[in-house]
Amino acid sequence: MNRFFYAKLAVNNMQKNAQTYLPYLLTGIFTVMMFYNMSFLAVAKDIGSLSDSGQLRKLLSFGAGVIAVFSVIFLFYTNSFLIKRRKKEFGLFNILGMEKKHIARIILWETLFTAVISIGVGLAAGILFSKLMILLLFKIITFQVTFGFEIPVTAVINTSVLFGGIFLLNLVYNVLQVHLSKPIELLKGSSVGEKEPKTNWLIAIIGAVSLAIAYYIALTTESPLAALQLFFVAVVLAMIGTYCLFTAGSIALLKMLRKNKSYYYQLKHFIPVSGMIYRMKQNAVGLANICILSTAVIIMLSTTVSMYVGMEDLLRTRYPRNILVSARNVSDEQAIKLDAAIEKQALEAGLIPKDVIRYRSMSFPVSQDGASFTQDHSNNYAAGNIAMVVCLTADEYNRMENKSVSLDSSEALLYTLKGDIPGDTVNFNGFELSIKERLDSLETEDKMSALLTNSYFLIVDDVDTIKQIYNSLSGNQGDMGELSYYYGFDVAGDKDAQISLVSALQKALKEINADCYVEGAESARAGFYSIYGGLFFLGIFLGLLFMMATVLIIYYKQIAEGYEDRERFEIMQKVGMSRDEVKQAIKSQVLAVFFLPLVAAVIHIGFAFKVITKMLAVLNLTNVQLFAGCTALTILVFAVFYVIIYGLTARTYYHLVS
Amino acid sequence: MPLLEVYNLKKIYTTRFGGNPVQALTNVTFSLKQGEFTAVMGESGSGKTTLLNIIAALDKPTSGEVFLNGKDIVSIKEKEISAFRRDNIGFVFQDFNLLDTFSIKDNILLPLVLAGKSYEEMIELLKPIVKRLKIEDILEKYPYEVSGGQKQKTAIARALITKPQLILADEPTGSLDSRSSSELLHLFNEINKDGQTILMVTHSIKAASFAKRVLFIKDGELFHQLYKGSMSNEEFYQKISDTLILIATGGVRNE
Repeated sequence: MNRFFYAKLAVNNMQKNAQTYLPYLLTGIFTVMMFYNMSFLAVAKDIGSLSDSGQLRKLLSFGAGVIAVFSVIFLFYTNSFLIKRRKKEFGLFNILGMEKKHIARIILWETLFTAVISIGVGLAAGILFSKLMILLLFKIITFQVTFGFEIPVTAVINTSVLFGGIFLLNLVYNVLQVHLSKPIELLKGSSVGEKEPKTNWLIAIIGAVSLAIAYYIALTTESPLAALQLFFVAVVLAMIGTYCLFTAGSIALLKMLRKNKSYYYQLKHFIPVSGMIYRMKQNAVGLANICILSTAVIIMLSTTVSMYVGMEDLLRTRYPRNILVSARNVSDEQAIKLDAAIEKQALEAGLIPKDVIRYRSMSFPVSQDGASFTQDHSNNYAAGNIAMVVCLTADEYNRMENKSVSLDSSEALLYTLKGDIPGDTVNFNGFELSIKERLDSLETEDKMSALLTNSYFLIVDDVDTIKQIYNSLSGNQGDMGELSYYYGFDVAGDKDAQISLVSALQKALKEINADCYVEGAESARAGFYSIYGGLFFLGIFLGLLFMMATVLIIYYKQIAEGYEDRERFEIMQKVGMSRDEVKQAIKSQVLAVFFLPLVAAVIHIGFAFKVITKMLAVLNLTNVQLFAGCTALTILVFAVFYVIIYGLTARTYYHLVS
Repeated sequence: MPLLEVYNLKKIYTTRFGGNPVQALTNVTFSLKQGEFTAVMGESGSGKTTLLNIIAALDKPTSGEVFLNGKDIVSIKEKEISAFRRDNIGFVFQDFNLLDTFSIKDNILLPLVLAGKSYEEMIELLKPIVKRLKIEDILEKYPYEVSGGQKQKTAIARALITKPQLILADEPTGSLDSRSSSELLHLFNEINKDGQTILMVTHSIKAASFAKRVLFIKDGELFHQLYKGSMSNEEFYQKISDTLILIATGGVRNE
């Protein structure tokens, strides 16, 4: 026998099965390309010239990791689908006298071809696109583009090894599949009589409960820091819930519908309900996958897009003034010196401070219980009752707001940034102050911190009262020290001038007070862009990957179902169903299968919306409207995309069925 | 008036790529009276199934006419054809054609659901039939859980439930063992005694010997016919067998 007989047979097989093989090959090529590009970016020399390259590299390596894990799962899934469809063919070979080892040889050749094509073409395309990718990344993070072209050997090796491994895994799986089965089973392949699925109430209830808990967490979590911690719990619960409900819940529901005789025995319900019971048995996991992938794509895209689009907002939230100076434990003399130094440096830089906010205060992190506060020992910022109380003196307040308020030592003015203090008094571990007035506004520092915890500004008569609060809270332990110092201002200068002013201030102020901290929005901008831009890039990249996965899962589902449904609809036509009725039945089934995951994904996102806004607040994005808009737009784009896939696959499906 | 009249039926299949046209039916004329049990015999490829498909309005003839109860089947509009088939013709197939996704009961009720009957009506119609066919115990089971004979009984119940004018059976014993076959054929006889008209296509002599009349078809033409008259099944079997041999060796009508 010719040495290349099996190789030829393998090529022939792949051509004959192009309808299922081509998408598999394209997936292979595409995932290889994406993985190469991501690992290329993670090690690319050009990125080294970035000031914040470490963070960005970490992000990109993480992205490469995600793609790697995803590729393993996804290519394995696609392969197992292919091999299931082809069992009949192998059975035929077996019966025609081919031994299993010969079939294994065919499979070996097929896998080899697939691997070589996928990795070869994928790498070539990846290398070709790598320059484009780095240009895109640099554009997104607003970094100067460098010229040059590189092919990092490590990236090429990593890609080849990873995907070589995946295809080896698939090969082993396929050979095992053929070895473990008997020829007659191979011949029957996928058409072994299907048992009706049983209703598993336990799993259905577990699913409903975990989903309910996940939604409850998502809706009731108020503190953004708690949101960060609980979000992953909620995500895991929602995933469990989705899988359980898609697998067991759907069947339980359909069987309940079937029990309702007058509902079930109607033409428009009879065929879809019974068909769906079977379909859900085979496809529930696939549909749950699609649902979770869609949710992930939409959330990833909407958050990263809104952070990127809202970058300026975000910078302003994080840096309420272009230049911020803060220091702790600043004595009165030091404060005067600091003021002078700041003015001097600004003058030397030729910049005039505008919109100045300047005050001295004392902050207490406390636990709040209604109107009484005690010292917080837990340092657990995720706890709901933590609050920040910032105390200012009346003199400071009068100077800031141009007022002439006078208070006595048991009175205070209250400005609430976030939270609520009921009643007319506040109590600090026994030390009580009466609230003389609640203020509507106060020019204060970063509003950001307020979004994380409850925050109150308290204006008292003088420093002694602040000390009394301190002593009462701490139980007369230690000395409060001096007040903190805060100085924020905008300047009109360009980026470079601002950055150099920040570094000049850093140097000058350190000499006066060691605990002094100077920040500038412009100095931080590059870092923000590299992180959030990197996230945005990753979001688009992974979004594309997940979307491709969704497309492919749906495509394979439709084809698999098309083959199975063809027989059913033939029978129905013989029994007296008209073509139109058949078409209608097909349509309602396909629609349900198709849009169930999308609808479930949108519901998930609806419930997750609030908790995501909280988390974005931690990342300084407070513009809820922007996020809402981005989410709506992402869902819309995704839905349009989805409908297009639906149109394409539904056509293949009709073609198979009729 | 005969229940079914078939005149000068002709069917030519042409392949899409302009290959040689195949003449499946050359010229077939026959009629079926109300209450008859008739078998159509012939070798594979003789045109039996084509004939059945045309009578069932699943296929259109190239020329010729088919009347069921005086109504021209060939000229029924595409839209009405399914309803017509559902109301007037019951089908029994060789491979049962049951739907795996439905229980036995739902499989039987399928034509009634398609006809839009209420559930109460369905149950009314279902009860006597399943009692008669002795399949009451397996109603809640699924096709993959029951034997071939039970599957075919289910198919018969499905064919009978709409009280059709005519039952068309395409090799109904083809997938059954000999015991189930006999049982099924006896069942056909019983149903026929109740007045049900049956047209059965088969190439099993045994199956044909249960019919009252046998039509022989060869190369798309009606070739010969036999009446059972007062013959026993065994005698009729012998007669059919002899006729087939004659046809095969070209005896009866030399060409």
